[in-house]
Amino acid sequence: MPASVSIENLTYSYTPGKPVLRNVSLKVAKGEKLGIIGPSGSGKSTLLLHLNGVLRGDGRLAIDDVPVTGSSLHEIRRKVGLVFQNPDDQLFNPTVEEDVAFGPLNFGFSPEEAASRVREALRIMHLDGFEKLTSHHLSFGERKRVALATVLAMQPEVIALDEPFSNLDPAMVQQLMEKLSSMDTTLVIVSQSILPLIAICDRIAILKDGEIIAVDQPKKLAGNQELMRSSGLDIEYYCKICNDLYCGK
Amino acid sequence: MRHQFIDKYAYLNSPVHGIDPRAKVISAFAAIVIVVSENLDGEILHFVWYFTLLTGIAILSGIPMFFLLKRVMVVVPFIAMASVFYPVSALLEGKPVVFSLQDATVKAAIIIFSKSFISVTILVLLTSTERFHRLLMALRKLRMPKLICGISAMLYRYIFLLTEEAQRTTLARESRTPGKLKVSKISVYGNQAAVIFLRSWERSQTIYSSMLSRGFKGEFPDMHQLNLRVNDVLFSAMFIFIFLLIRIWF
Repeated sequence: MPASVSIENLTYSYTPGKPVLRNVSLKVAKGEKLGIIGPSGSGKSTLLLHLNGVLRGDGRLAIDDVPVTGSSLHEIRRKVGLVFQNPDDQLFNPTVEEDVAFGPLNFGFSPEEAASRVREALRIMHLDGFEKLTSHHLSFGERKRVALATVLAMQPEVIALDEPFSNLDPAMVQQLMEKLSSMDTTLVIVSQSILPLIAICDRIAILKDGEIIAVDQPKKLAGNQELMRSSGLDIEYYCKICNDLYCGK
Repeated sequence: MRHQFIDKYAYLNSPVHGIDPRAKVISAFAAIVIVVSENLDGEILHFVWYFTLLTGIAILSGIPMFFLLKRVMVVVPFIAMASVFYPVSALLEGKPVVFSLQDATVKAAIIIFSKSFISVTILVLLTSTERFHRLLMALRKLRMPKLICGISAMLYRYIFLLTEEAQRTTLARESRTPGKLKVSKISVYGNQAAVIFLRSWERSQTIYSSMLSRGFKGEFPDMHQLNLRVNDVLFSAMFIFIFLLIRIWF
């Protein structure tokens, strides 16, 4: 069963007096796909790190009504899977199999259950036969898929993805979009690639200078050129190129 | 990015690789104790026997001898330096030293060198026939404190992170250095070293976050549990017995 995410007045600073997140409030319904966009340095990745308690700021954050606190971390981390932007930050074991099994084994599943979850996660990501390969010998796209498999193997109720489309070739982006679209899990996706988010998300939030300035349906939000431009997220230029290429205008 | 894992050949499938890591750890440490206990006026031939036995195990494990020797050779200069100091200090004390195998001081220096060489070879063989984290699991089962095992496991991963960052920054520097450096080498290498440490520290923080987010609680789990069989105990007993035999009877 997917879980819901509730964030109320979340504030966080790495350096005292310079908050990266300011009173962020956001609700994500069960099974919903929420995209978070915003210029570089707006606090998107910091917000994601709060979802499974890696960072803990002031305010209230709950996953399925379970507040994220020191005592609930084990339960929260079981519910929320975090996929980091750089797969090299996520893969630290010698082989793919060991990396994908790391989460399930840490959460107390038996080696047999962990092995079965590894097989299933690798199958979903089209990585059958990669079990014994060394992670750092794979291509970037393959490492990205392994990073996602490490989280899928935990079968979390919420998956938080940080820049899942970065550095992937167009075919790989399409594959990943299809994969994410078909998931029933609650998804929170942070990305600078706005077009894939428009295609797969139910809602999109704009984070600017640590504050949520708009949350709406993707098409409505992307259609508000004034808002997009003032947030430094204007995609008109890309649309113009596509028009020139495919419509001959 | 490419780097050599310490346990590059630890994934081979040989009778030696198949032995339980606890049996290997106990055998290795017992063998080192036996070798180190050799007297300085003892038999040099003992070390030839020890080396022959280790060579036999290396052949059985399928690890290329060149790889093993190359790794042992990394420490040979340090061992050689320590051994050379023995006759040198005797000379400085005014004792007569004749550079011949019959001379007690020279013989002692050779034995010091051989003890260290064999001990390092045993350790290289141990780490080459077993994956590092399984060795740590074995040490943990043998009551090594959790903290030391945890630090060793982190250190093992941090070495590769550091290497990767060093490779990246070197690539960045070389890509903008046509020919020789025209600015102060000390400041360039100093800055690079600082950047390597800062970047690797920051990345290690992110990796640690990623580990925490997947339920890490201080110990690295393994899908394949350790399984000590009769054969493993027999191997360990036989290995230690042969070392003792060489030490006592030859």
